[in-house]
Amino acid sequence: MISLSDITQWIHKMLFQYLNGTVAYGAELVLAGVAVIALVVAMAIIMVYAERKFAGFFQMRWGPNRVGKWGTLQAIADTVKLMLKECITPNNADKPMFKLAPIIITVVGFLALAPFAFAKGIVLWDMNIGVFYVTAISSLSVIGILMGGWASNNKYSLLGALRSGAQIVSYELSAGLSIAAIIVMSGSMSLNDIILAQTDGWWILRGHIPAIIAFVISIIASTAEANRSPFDLAEGEQELTGGYHTEYSGIQFALFFLAEYTTMFILAMLNITLFLGGWMPFHIPGLTVFNHIMDFIPGIVWFFGKTFFILFLMIWFRWTFPRMRIDKLLKLEWKYLLPISIVNLLFAAFITLMGWHF
Amino acid sequence: MRSIYKYFYDIFHGFYSLWTGMMTTGYYLVHPKKILTQEYPDNRGTTLYIAERFHGEVVMPHDENNEHRCTACSLCQMSCPNGSIEVKSEMIETPEGKKKKVLKQWIYHIDLCTFCGSCIDACPSDAIRMSNEFEHASYTKDAFLKVLNKPGSKLKSKEK
Amino acid sequence: MSAQAIAFYILGALAIVCSALTIFSRMIFRSAIYLLFSLISIAGIYFLMEMDFIAALQIMVYVGGIVVLIIFSIFLTHRSGDKLPCALTKRSLIGGIIALSGLALSGWIILRNTFTATNKPAVDLSIRNIGRQMLDYQQHGYVYPFEIISFLILAALIGCIVIAVKDKKE
Repeated sequence: MISLSDITQWIHKMLFQYLNGTVAYGAELVLAGVAVIALVVAMAIIMVYAERKFAGFFQMRWGPNRVGKWGTLQAIADTVKLMLKECITPNNADKPMFKLAPIIITVVGFLALAPFAFAKGIVLWDMNIGVFYVTAISSLSVIGILMGGWASNNKYSLLGALRSGAQIVSYELSAGLSIAAIIVMSGSMSLNDIILAQTDGWWILRGHIPAIIAFVISIIASTAEANRSPFDLAEGEQELTGGYHTEYSGIQFALFFLAEYTTMFILAMLNITLFLGGWMPFHIPGLTVFNHIMDFIPGIVWFFGKTFFILFLMIWFRWTFPRMRIDKLLKLEWKYLLPISIVNLLFAAFITLMGWHF
Repeated sequence: MRSIYKYFYDIFHGFYSLWTGMMTTGYYLVHPKKILTQEYPDNRGTTLYIAERFHGEVVMPHDENNEHRCTACSLCQMSCPNGSIEVKSEMIETPEGKKKKVLKQWIYHIDLCTFCGSCIDACPSDAIRMSNEFEHASYTKDAFLKVLNKPGSKLKSKEK
Repeated sequence: MSAQAIAFYILGALAIVCSALTIFSRMIFRSAIYLLFSLISIAGIYFLMEMDFIAALQIMVYVGGIVVLIIFSIFLTHRSGDKLPCALTKRSLIGGIIALSGLALSGWIILRNTFTATNKPAVDLSIRNIGRQMLDYQQHGYVYPFEIISFLILAALIGCIVIAVKDKKE
């Protein structure tokens, strides 16, 4: 059976056979970059379509159904429209900052993709602190939002940016602590090692109650970090007319939009890597035949299947729950999620110490 | 102790209520037959359903003898908040020799109308009602000026 | 020149230029953003030296934490969007002299110090080893500063609570 890593190996060999070392290395870098951008854009288009279609069904509507069969080309049509639109910069805006903000937020999204293992051997940068790197990089995305909100010179944008800042800075804590619970159990920060540690079963099953609590908290915190409803105060269409991206149009708005979906995608990938085993097939220790059957499904299918499951959950949240008020939002974090995740981390450490996880 | 109980009760109750909400939307997701959307231009004249009480436009029903029930009292004109109704009446002499006010033209400016229905409420003789017709778009302004009483129509004699 | 050296010089130049812009920019929000870029370039240098953990820490603590706090305080400041007035000549002169003497001092120390190459194996940079050293009280252990810092953070936390729950009777 041909796996994806065979293909990458083959490309690597071909490049180094016909080109000299430096050029081949550069070509590989370019290929990896193109692959990442293509993946993100393709995922964003799929997610936008899925989001709108699911939104329709959740709310007893049809969703997009005019452009293409079942509206499949709607997201592409929207993308083309956004690309062709004029980018308007407000007169009193801080112009360099205004133009820089969408670029920063997009670059941050792409950077955070580096340490993820999509399938066996398919990883851009297998660093030994992968999880920490992803949390660190995704904490940068708030800078782009703050910049965009400030540079627009618009009080709605500024309010949106402030809200988003307060929200992301506080929800990072419980997200980090719930991630730490899994790091304690697997004893490594490398995403690859964490996946390999789940060969016998996913952490959510092996880690008993602490892992389940950590998973729930992580999903809530991810939804908040991605600025999605019920935590979408930063945009707040009704009260802030779009929040931090009120003044943006055309491709700049498209970049903000893309970054939002990239963040969502990255957080979904992080969650499945930590709790649901990444590309690791579903294994039950002892049942060899069952495990072999599961191994026949390629890792990339497992990976994207689980990712789409988490994304579906987030879409489900978005179209079910009403938006939270800012004080309730902060109360949820500081009075509920943070204490629970601290206690949960202690429990996880205790379980690991006693070797109770199987 | 009580506050601790309340803390955990809040958490579980919160999850329960969130789960209820998610089940509701999840039910709609797997039951596409529940979809309420009407694909309007496609189902025009076939499955298009408009509620009975929808305020489309003001009409004046005429019966088979070309008779309406408007007594030209012009209460509707007075009740209209934006002056979209003009009731033109004239005095005629009945065969018995009495002078009587009858309706000449009931002019309806649909471009001024907000479809509030005050005229229908004001009418003492149920001469006008709201219809379901909603496709009013037109290229010319003339189409928005309507005379509701049909030419040659007259007042329905009161049922005894 | 190797690619690593080129990357190092680009990142170093970016760090220096952005630090200079932080000081010379007269718009306070832009200063904060230049500071951010300067800190990111330093994180890039750490990545170049394969100090992944310190680089990620730099990004998380300084960029994700401190710069965000600075930007927040700028947001909450009255009329922070205006261009600041030029500094007085006397003050800028004194500041320049102090900065130059600082540069001269550190340059003198760096030039005087002889950096000797060693054959010792590189320190194990895995997260496991960092955690061990953090709580180690043998040689090369950091348990003392670690505990001191945790006391400091605890004191800061208590201070926050004391400020937050001020009596409303006054």
